[in-house]
Amino acid sequence: MPAREEILERLKSATKRQNVDRPAKPTLSEITLNREQMIQRFESELSGRTGVLYQAGDKEDALRILLDIITAEGLKSFVASSEKIHGVDIAFLCSKNGLSVTIPKDLADRDSLRNAAFAADAGITSADFAVAETGTLGLIFSHNHPRLLSIAPPLHIAIISVKDLYPVYENVMEIVFKNTKEIPSQFSFITGPSATSDIQGIEFKGMHGPKKVFVIMIMQE
Amino acid sequence: MHSHINKFIETAREELKNEPSQMFLMMVSLGAPILRQIGMSSFPDIAAAESYSRAIRADVIARLPELLEEFEKNAKARGAKVLWAKDAAEANNIILDIAYRGDVSYVMKGKSMITEEIGLNDHLIKNGVEVFETDLGEVITQNLNLHPFHLVGPAINVPPEKISEAFLKKGIIKKASTDPVELGGGARKYLRDKFRNLQMGIVGVNMAVAETGTIINVENEGNIRLIKSSPKTLVAIMSLEKVVPTIKDAIYMTRMLTRNCTGQKITSYVSMDTGPKKPDEQDGPEELYIIILDNGRSEIYRDFKTREILKCIRCGACLNTCPVYTKIGGYPYGATYCGPVGQVLTPMLAGIESTADLYRACTLCGMCKQICPAGIDHPSLLLSYRARQIELKKQKGKKTMQSRGENAMAGLISLGMSHGWLWNFGLKITRPLMNSLAKDGYIGSIPMGAQGWFGCRDLRAIPSKTFHETWNDLPSLPEPSGSASKKEDS
Amino acid sequence: MKVSLFIPCTVDIMMPEIGVAAHTLLSVLGMQTIYHKEQTCCGQPLFNAGYRDEAKRVAKHFIEVFGEDDCIISPAGSCVCMVKYHYPELLADEPSWHKRACGLAGRIHELSQYIVDVLKVTDVGAKYTGKVAYHESCHVLRGLNISDQPKKLIAGVEGAQFVEFDNSTACCGFGGEFAIGYPDISEAMVRDKAANFIKSGADVLLLCEPGCLLNISGYLHRNHPQKTARHLASFLADNLKKV
Repeated sequence: MPAREEILERLKSATKRQNVDRPAKPTLSEITLNREQMIQRFESELSGRTGVLYQAGDKEDALRILLDIITAEGLKSFVASSEKIHGVDIAFLCSKNGLSVTIPKDLADRDSLRNAAFAADAGITSADFAVAETGTLGLIFSHNHPRLLSIAPPLHIAIISVKDLYPVYENVMEIVFKNTKEIPSQFSFITGPSATSDIQGIEFKGMHGPKKVFVIMIMQE
Repeated sequence: MHSHINKFIETAREELKNEPSQMFLMMVSLGAPILRQIGMSSFPDIAAAESYSRAIRADVIARLPELLEEFEKNAKARGAKVLWAKDAAEANNIILDIAYRGDVSYVMKGKSMITEEIGLNDHLIKNGVEVFETDLGEVITQNLNLHPFHLVGPAINVPPEKISEAFLKKGIIKKASTDPVELGGGARKYLRDKFRNLQMGIVGVNMAVAETGTIINVENEGNIRLIKSSPKTLVAIMSLEKVVPTIKDAIYMTRMLTRNCTGQKITSYVSMDTGPKKPDEQDGPEELYIIILDNGRSEIYRDFKTREILKCIRCGACLNTCPVYTKIGGYPYGATYCGPVGQVLTPMLAGIESTADLYRACTLCGMCKQICPAGIDHPSLLLSYRARQIELKKQKGKKTMQSRGENAMAGLISLGMSHGWLWNFGLKITRPLMNSLAKDGYIGSIPMGAQGWFGCRDLRAIPSKTFHETWNDLPSLPEPSGSASKKEDS
Repeated sequence: MKVSLFIPCTVDIMMPEIGVAAHTLLSVLGMQTIYHKEQTCCGQPLFNAGYRDEAKRVAKHFIEVFGEDDCIISPAGSCVCMVKYHYPELLADEPSWHKRACGLAGRIHELSQYIVDVLKVTDVGAKYTGKVAYHESCHVLRGLNISDQPKKLIAGVEGAQFVEFDNSTACCGFGGEFAIGYPDISEAMVRDKAANFIKSGADVLLLCEPGCLLNISGYLHRNHPQKTARHLASFLADNLKKV
């Protein structure tokens, strides 16, 4: 008998299976956070993981902050999910400052994308959601936004809108997984940089993923 | 998978004398529960939070086959290829076959205990496919050829000098170092190009969501995200108990998993894949294979008692609170799974008869049961294995002196315990025998039998009268308030 | 009021003074104690070793001996656990025995829990000048959820100063056959327990489990003979103020 049938038959023929009544799902305290509190919570959680939050008044402010980060970190080359993210003109910024940016839609194939992502100093991406609960970003990956941009480069800069900030994961899951036909091929929660404590329990950042994460939150809606 | 379970006591003895191991175990036993408590305290009501996660896992067990079918249907609807494997050999061959068809020279792997259980690496390597572990802990255990010391941090105890030595030999670092950051950095650099050029990746699955056909991976390092993004072919292998009913259940369990595992409220990355990449996407797998593996679990499921082992979410909290594990570390358990989870699972995978130490080296203290977010009653399971072992010994009529003698002894004792007169009579005989060994009122050693007691302990000599024999002499005490108190025989 | 004493095998054979102490305390508190001489053991050693048929035989004997009692009291947490939780499990396939076992489960008490929760007494009339630490045995704490009660009884002792000690809820390494079968690990555990007790500066370590007492006091006698561990019942009974 093929494995599938054999396994399922064995499982189904097991006796005494009782349905389980669940207790009420415990509430999470974060759901009562107002916007101000959410921002505060997001910031404190993210910084606890060594991530940095910048609040930008508008897209021009965000552009300035982005340039500051680039200068402070000595970054020269980027992959970005698109030329403009939330109105922040990354292509313009790079051309004005002699920096190089690669946009995936301009790349012919997987290998070009991989080479670009692994070679870049930083990945600049949008994030579809932010979750106050743990200072987390939620990214839907798609043809507009490949997966590698936020994991291969040693630095990740995410530009988000405050209107996409939610209290808890469930708020976001409801949206992303609402329509079964439209579930993205990958959705990821990202909380701070990559880390490990596998040697002697001593933690350090940037094992395989980014060593630093910067989040620029645009406050103007 | 199971190499030296029969050396449990010997390996435990070595580990008890191993200073670096002991230092780590102390750190784990003191630190981990505190970290867990801090993580759990983000819930307004911790007990309610634990009840709910236990209920989710109980629900999974109650509906396991239906949930697996639902998961398969939804995953396939999104283009995943879902394959089932009865056992290790079948799973290994499926994966090897995928590697051959893709003509890959190497694969990269995320941390996956199930792949360790089935010995996937050896199978691939033996058949000409190179395997690169990518989770730093597994990179270390792979290169040093070590068993896991801890479920979650398998190489956490290994001294940096040893890692440096092995990494130098393999060309992972160019210069010796005992700095974890440099060693980790060396591993990152070494694996970088391999990630970039990767054709086929293999990951485990933390949760498979029935409602949507989604597989979820939880990690801090980012190697799993790279493996799920870079290559054209992705294999995700899961043992059949990894399914959860809904996406909301999955995210709830993720909260419990991370807190119980490392105390973190969430790991750096939680990636959720539903089918392979869409046609217009530039990265992500073109082919996603999901392998649902049995390897003994459907048998475990059929037994109403052992079924609850399948609730386990592999958080490792039971290890961190186990007074035995935190004294001996992972090596004595001689298998993929160590600590209390290993004690309940390995005997079912490897057989009761060869794993006696796993279910007897336990004081039944109940710490594991108390902390388990999945609601497993480890002590009860271990007691049932002990009973099974005895049953097997009796059924097989083992003709060894030892077990015949043991069975007879147990019978005699139970006889004595079932008849008051026999009990008292037996004691009258054994008491002087025992006390002949006493010095200054204490017994320091005995010529045969329970010598283990006397290695570090004395035993007070048996009093000249048992309580039975004392009862009649006990005075009736006058109650201070005046009402008479009496004692009564019956 | 009548209470029936269940004196476990370890107490009967090795430490009968604990049984005497239990009887004394209950008498002083106005209870009339009954002792069924046919009693022997709850069968836990057999059950834990995997000899369920043999343990069943002992369980049935226990039920026969204690079956009619309204109130059974024992100075041993693990034995109470055995009767309460494992007897119904053991006899699940024999309905009439199972019913009797379930009935019995509701009528058996651990001594300190009985005194504090049922008799509502925390001051038994004892006096002790010195520092006292309390080891929370696995079956007492996690098996029966008993922790406040022994501590209240200690607090009720005039002059006694309760002292916390590290890892007071950690297993002492007895575990019955474990101490004999896995002596290296058991030693490491009891060594820690003793060290933490000694570090606390307490004069005496109290507990409510005879097995733990054999283990810890045996270790102390070999390695730190000036330090003592005692059963809570013995401690209270021996320190009762003279009327």
